[in-house]
Amino acid sequence: MEFDKNSTIKLAKLARLSVNDNQLNSLEKDLKSILKFIDQLKEINTEDIDPTSNSLDQKLILRDDIAENTLSNEDLLKNVPESELGFFVVPKVIE
Amino acid sequence: MLDNLTILEASKLIDEKKVSALEITNSYLKKIEDSKKLNCFITVSHDKAVHAAKETDNRVSKNNRIGPMDGIPLAYKDLFCTKDTLTTASSKILSNFIPTYESTVTNNCINKGAITLGKLNCDEFAMGSTNKTSFYGPVVNPWKSLDSDEELVPGGSSGGSAASVAADLCIASIGTDTGGSIRQPASFTGAVGLKPTYGRVSRWGTIAFASSLDQAGPISKTVEDAAILLQTISGHDNKDSTSSQKPNEHYFSNLNSSVKNLKIGIPKEYMSDDLPLEIQNYWNEGKKILSENGAEIIEISLPHTKTALPAYYIIAPAEASSNLSRYDGVKYGLRTNEKNLIKMYESTRSDGFGDEVKRRIMIGTYVLSSGYYDAYYLKAQKIRSLIKKDFDNVFKDVNAILTPATPNTAFAIDKEEKDPVKNYLNDIFTVPINLAGLPAISIPFGLDKKGLPVGMQLITNSFEEQLLLNIAKNIQDSINFKNEPKCWWK
Amino acid sequence: MDDWQTVIGIEIHAQVNSKSKLFSSSSTDFGSAPNTQVSLVDAAMPGMLPVINKFCIEQAIKSGLGLNAKINNKSIFDRKNYFYQDLPQGYQISQFKDPIVGEGSVEIEIEGITKTIGIERLHLEQDAGKSLHDQDPNLTFVDLNRSGIALMEIVSKPDMSSSDEAIAYVRKVRSILRYLDTCDGNMEQGSLRADVNVSVRKKGEELGTRCEIKNLNSFKHIGAAINFEVDRQIKIIERGEQVKQETRLYEVVSNKTRSMRSKEDAHDYRYFPDPDLLPLQLEQDWIEKIKKSLPELPDEKKLRFINFYKISGYDAEVLTSDRRISEFFEEVAKNRSSKLSVSWVASELFAVLNKLNLNIENSPVSSSQLGELIDEIENGTISNRAAKEVFEEMCNSEKSVKDIIDDKGLVQISDTSEIEIFINKVLEDNPENVEKYKNGKTKLLGFFIGEVMKATKGKANPGLLNQIVKKKLDN
Ligand SMILES: [Mg+2]
Ligand SMILES: [Zn+2]
Repeated sequence: MEFDKNSTIKLAKLARLSVNDNQLNSLEKDLKSILKFIDQLKEINTEDIDPTSNSLDQKLILRDDIAENTLSNEDLLKNVPESELGFFVVPKVIE
Repeated sequence: MLDNLTILEASKLIDEKKVSALEITNSYLKKIEDSKKLNCFITVSHDKAVHAAKETDNRVSKNNRIGPMDGIPLAYKDLFCTKDTLTTASSKILSNFIPTYESTVTNNCINKGAITLGKLNCDEFAMGSTNKTSFYGPVVNPWKSLDSDEELVPGGSSGGSAASVAADLCIASIGTDTGGSIRQPASFTGAVGLKPTYGRVSRWGTIAFASSLDQAGPISKTVEDAAILLQTISGHDNKDSTSSQKPNEHYFSNLNSSVKNLKIGIPKEYMSDDLPLEIQNYWNEGKKILSENGAEIIEISLPHTKTALPAYYIIAPAEASSNLSRYDGVKYGLRTNEKNLIKMYESTRSDGFGDEVKRRIMIGTYVLSSGYYDAYYLKAQKIRSLIKKDFDNVFKDVNAILTPATPNTAFAIDKEEKDPVKNYLNDIFTVPINLAGLPAISIPFGLDKKGLPVGMQLITNSFEEQLLLNIAKNIQDSINFKNEPKCWWK
Repeated sequence: MDDWQTVIGIEIHAQVNSKSKLFSSSSTDFGSAPNTQVSLVDAAMPGMLPVINKFCIEQAIKSGLGLNAKINNKSIFDRKNYFYQDLPQGYQISQFKDPIVGEGSVEIEIEGITKTIGIERLHLEQDAGKSLHDQDPNLTFVDLNRSGIALMEIVSKPDMSSSDEAIAYVRKVRSILRYLDTCDGNMEQGSLRADVNVSVRKKGEELGTRCEIKNLNSFKHIGAAINFEVDRQIKIIERGEQVKQETRLYEVVSNKTRSMRSKEDAHDYRYFPDPDLLPLQLEQDWIEKIKKSLPELPDEKKLRFINFYKISGYDAEVLTSDRRISEFFEEVAKNRSSKLSVSWVASELFAVLNKLNLNIENSPVSSSQLGELIDEIENGTISNRAAKEVFEEMCNSEKSVKDIIDDKGLVQISDTSEIEIFINKVLEDNPENVEKYKNGKTKLLGFFIGEVMKATKGKANPGLLNQIVKKKLDN
């Protein structure tokens, strides 16, 4: 599928970014240019190659199951934009 | 006397009680105050610094100095969370964020007695190579071209970290490098910039850009200082699952400058006609120095070099798009008032993130989205395996690799680049190293004809930082680069 | 309606009973003050990183083995990306392509018929926080205490074809997890929840469009939601319309399901391997060690109960469906009559627990107390009838079995000469009936026994009484 204005709008939605019409055009242009750049990879044969998601060659370290509450409610909410009664607060969500 | 100090020099002065840590600290605080034009600092931790300096002096008076870092004024890229001190990642979305915790990197420095001067400007969330994407405005390179008064970029994303060292606003600094963000600005400002092996330095408390690539490292005036700093910040951290369990090394005390019988690889794929002649010349000079000092120069091939940049611009944005999802206005940071949750998310994030960050979030979202994952993200991860294999093969034959650090020198801040991809090309020599997780260092070699610093890059195999520093010291001692920018900014 | 078939697949979310969370050391205690069990990691503060809990991995392996499943030596943690107020990271760490546990199976039994239900996989993932919508007309409150707690998501194959089977399956999985002690199975507290996928089709036709009913937290709701949904879907198709693929919610009050989001609004989760974590590699030695430590599981135990205690399959099923019950039973039945033990545990005690809405763990009568009571029956101290009276008192007081028997004077008269005194008295008082009996009306035996019981206030040992009365009359 061709990357177009609708793709940009869809992506913005998925990424929770609002984009106005003005930004939309330049953003679409930028994204197209980046896509063209990364599309170079399509020519590279990667059959039978295992992907690497982290270069560190090490076993995953496991933690012991010891419980400790290290952060007070006050410290947790130190930077919170809005809170009440120790809760984080957001605009009403209807499920 | 207190100008252009290295860690070693300052340490000696403090040890010999010729100067107090407080005097040194105050002199740097004064210089920072006088250098606002460079826009290096987002936050100056005046009181914290003075307090810490007094503590050093107290220890010194009792002959209890912790070690060479005790009393040394440092500054940190504003990506490291610092307890009770504003930490912004140069983003509007974190412009009010005051962590209740100290990152492992800064904590390691503080534990060794280092003094925190403040937090350094950088590209927003470390995304950029010009330092122009910062919400706090661009950092200005202390260097200027001989023939122009234009202000130049310091490189990025650790632009403030490099410029502050070059302008002598701190003795050394700590930056982060995801695709070249330490080495490129170090190269643009005539400093030494070291990116350690992925996993050598803990990422805990460092604001993430691309988790599998990010690595903190020092920017300093000398290779010796880089060694001391690496020793200070590195080591296993059980709070970071990607922190190496390999024991920490005494990089400084083990430092020697012999390159005898070492094999140095020169990758042919890094050479192109577009590479400015002066950079080619310095590269040749590097080969000459190393071979004169006893190393063998071997031409090598890293066949997948060209694929690194596009692969990087898939992987890094993909990880970033996910890493930056936590900035949603709920727990901390900026929040735009809206009556609907989704609207709140959208306007908070649109208002809080700058254009480059948004572009990368969108690209990252795209390459991971259903129907595109295999073609982009998975493909890039496979390319990454190929790149890593290239290096594995080469390191069977050579001990280290020498390349230019950047394809150009510092350019004008005003130079508007409309196409984001053109900006990405700045990272062409540095990005493959991050994809492979290898250590690399950028060291100043000389000036181009405009009088701007040129840096060269050395690369070694994983966890061979000692060898990397040794070769870098050999070059440093041979070149004896002593150039400094003329101070025009006070 | 007979030609309709229902196809059901179930995803169970079972909370691992660890002390700390999956990727942080915050406590998992239930019912603490809001946002007091939230670490920097759980709140997704900038720069925070996950470090995995070894115990949770062990519990996942254990559960996998209990579900007869394959344990994967290499598994990968992925990020599932979506925005939600109770998901602080903006992604859930889960396992997508490479889960820790692969295919397995469990057996369910309905009306004596056994059926095997396939398990697709079991993976580890983080729980989300909790949202409260009823605290303020314009706001939603968020509590992150639960955020990051380890869940095992157990995905079945679409092998069930009725709500009864679905319930039996969830019961069985819950029972296995409780046997293994990997999840407490407390559905009221949300430690075990089920997402149910339901579709219908005409016999022989292709699979119908399925709807997923989310977050069912009781067996009753699972049954009701499936029954409603099957009905709804059949009606739609019979009207000539098509079932829309969607996620639905079950509403208890109306006993209906309603649409939550359609397929078109479905998230694009953008799963990818979490770059903050490395692949999880499991040593075969560790898996073998865990395998050796597995307890006896419900199916094995049921067979053993049938063979060892010589009890019915039905009783064995009832007594082994829950590990604590089975253990309670075995404590009671040790060196005692299994018939009496079954009847006292499965009838008398269960009736009380049901009435008081209690679990076996909170039983008002301990296994040793119930054992003592049975001992008193077995050694003839009290009659069965008296035992019921004692038991009732045991449920309401702390008194010992012996004290209750003494206080109520319920000791059975088992002394032959003492019983004879009562019998002689009854025979003397009823000469006509003695006469009738002797003339062949042997049915009157009951009358004499009844009279003696009356006189002894029920305390006469019935066996002894019967024996002596008969002997005397037949002489
Ligand atoms: Mg699911
Ligand atoms: Zn799940």
